[in-house]
Amino acid sequence: MFYLAYLKAELLRRWGKTTIIALGLAIASAIIITIISTSQGLSDSQEQVLNPLENVGTDIMVSRSVDTEKMGDLDEATRAELASENRVTTDLSKLGKAGESFSLDTFLAGTMLTFASSDTKKLTSDLAKEYATGLILNVTHQEGKIPEITAEFQTGPESFQIPDVAPLTDAERAAVDAARQKAIADLQAKGIDPNSEEGRQAVREAEQAVMPERFKNRTFTAPSRTFRQTLETPQTDIKTENFTIAGVDTSKTDIGLILPSQITEGSYFNSQDQVVVNLSYAQKKGLKVGDTLTFNSKKLTIVGIVDPKLYTNTADVYVPIADLQTIASKAGRINIILIKAPNADAVEDTSNKIAGLFTGAKVINSNDTAAQVTGSLISAASLMNRFIGLTSIIVILAAFIIVSLITVFSVNKRTQEIGTLKGIGWKNPSISRQIFLENLVIGIFGAILGVGLGVAAILLLNQANIVFTANVASSNAGAGFIPFMRRFAEATASASTANLKLNVTFNYLVLSLGAAVAIVGSVVAGALAAFKVSRMKPQEALRQL
Amino acid sequence: MALIEIKDLTKVYKSGRSTIRAVDGINLVVEKGDFLVVIGPSGSGKSTLLQLLGCLDKPTSGEIKIDDKEVNRFSDARLAELRQNKLGFIFQSFNLIPTLTARQNVEAAIAKRGKGDKNKALEVLEKVGLAERADHLPSLLSGGEQQRVATARALINDPEIILADEPTGNLDSRTGKEILDILKNLNREKKQTVIIVTHSEYAREFANKVVEMRDGKLQTEKI
Repeated sequence: MFYLAYLKAELLRRWGKTTIIALGLAIASAIIITIISTSQGLSDSQEQVLNPLENVGTDIMVSRSVDTEKMGDLDEATRAELASENRVTTDLSKLGKAGESFSLDTFLAGTMLTFASSDTKKLTSDLAKEYATGLILNVTHQEGKIPEITAEFQTGPESFQIPDVAPLTDAERAAVDAARQKAIADLQAKGIDPNSEEGRQAVREAEQAVMPERFKNRTFTAPSRTFRQTLETPQTDIKTENFTIAGVDTSKTDIGLILPSQITEGSYFNSQDQVVVNLSYAQKKGLKVGDTLTFNSKKLTIVGIVDPKLYTNTADVYVPIADLQTIASKAGRINIILIKAPNADAVEDTSNKIAGLFTGAKVINSNDTAAQVTGSLISAASLMNRFIGLTSIIVILAAFIIVSLITVFSVNKRTQEIGTLKGIGWKNPSISRQIFLENLVIGIFGAILGVGLGVAAILLLNQANIVFTANVASSNAGAGFIPFMRRFAEATASASTANLKLNVTFNYLVLSLGAAVAIVGSVVAGALAAFKVSRMKPQEALRQL
Repeated sequence: MALIEIKDLTKVYKSGRSTIRAVDGINLVVEKGDFLVVIGPSGSGKSTLLQLLGCLDKPTSGEIKIDDKEVNRFSDARLAELRQNKLGFIFQSFNLIPTLTARQNVEAAIAKRGKGDKNKALEVLEKVGLAERADHLPSLLSGGEQQRVATARALINDPEIILADEPTGNLDSRTGKEILDILKNLNREKKQTVIIVTHSEYAREFANKVVEMRDGKLQTEKI
């Protein structure tokens, strides 16, 4: 076949031109592949964060999470419950003689009030295909030497408790609300964020100022001795540490706060006295599988490291729920239920029905969680989504223009050759086919090279360990909402940050698209050149010598 | 019936405001088996005349009949067929395709629908005495060798008419004569008609018919 010999001769003997065009096409194709794949990678990561519930087989989440912003609106019973769930022993003398070392873990529900695990009986099969319970608590760990000062006081262990007071009347509440609104408005006028430490302090003071007298000192009604003691706690070497612990429903493997499939190292619970540690907490504390953690003298061995995906309710350490109920003296209590709806299409509906069954509970479904996410991942993904179309079009256009120019230029350079072919009797279709074939083959080379480059770029991107963060508001604000507890709560994070490594995956569709860009670009340029050839008159072609 | 009959052939080029009458009302008859030499200085219009004869260009007015058919009215495709079957071209600057070997260049002239014929190409190269250089690229051949390849290319389809535009123009006189010898032999043996335009005086010796061209007009010299 003469035209194949001609094609081969043309491509090989003009290898410089062949290489440049193929390389140009390859780069365009690789850019397209990389851009689209990266964008997909970002979308996938975004999906993970935006649908945290789905990651743990959950459609609906039930808790009694209290909104700290609306603390003033709580009814008397809830307020009392909140106080009792966050009761802290302040008298360390009970733990031993002064000067002796002690280690104390206090388990507090924070803003996620507990409820009886028997409540789950309400979840009939038409409401829940499957469900898992959970208990997420804040742990305040203190250790050091028992301070000397406790000897001065003959009083027994004093518990700090917020006393019962008559609730605010409607008028009083209106006054408090008005003061809060005014304080917030004033702050905003001054350019201070009402949610900042300073802002919250100012709002609190404004609220306190208009509180009825019976509320004014509601946090300080304990005997003055206790009060003095708290303020004058001697400086000893007591170290306080806060972290969160979650009790996991180990009877379920595809729904729960953590799933066996999320274990990144070691194993899931398989025996007694075991604990699984969150990857980020393990990294922060330098914990490894095989290390032990002690909670109130109960030793637990770390069996696994977990990378939990339920960002709104992550904990630092995880234990089987029964163990946590024992350690924290909360037998039969849970504070979260994760529910898989019987019908994926009727989540909203089921969610409403469940909300009706659990009065006062907060029922969240997957649609609600997405809105709570912020962070670099979200900005990168939205940026990518916004520009991907434009960038791809620019790249394709640029590639097309460059290839067309090179092709047309090379056809012009071959004017004499084309004229000669016409002179010796070649018909237009034969010459056009020859040029077209050349471009097709170059396009195919470009496509192969482009896919190779694209895959290399993706591998490099994955090697580069690009990490995006997503900030997810946590359901549990911790115990920091009680003025007294702030002393311990210095390290409690109110939002969890999910770090997601950019993972760009190969997608055959995208690779084919990239390849198609190279081939189509080259073929279109070839068609243009072929058209130009057919318009050339042989004598014109010959004259340009 | 004459093989080629030209009547009042005129080709006018317009460049800017001035018009150039490159071929100006020429009448000419070429019989089968003629060896016609059109001689004249550069710019006399002789190359234009040859291009018109070879159907590479269309005249402004007048007519060209080949085998009593008026070729001006042919479509591009039919002209291409005519060029492939009846005409053989030899160009002054050889016009070989640089990426193809000598043999492939010759083969290109008979490559119909992509099919060539290596052996026939080799045969023709042998006729012009270049068989041993068949697989060389044009860039590795001397001017005379390149023109012999171009000649072989013009001959491979056994054309009735061989049109040569300054075939000796880029060659020294000895090599030029060699080429003309090849053409003369073909003319004698196969009764192929040869039309050469040239400014080389020595070409006259090979011709049975010489016309001189000046400013687009012909003066018949030797018949």
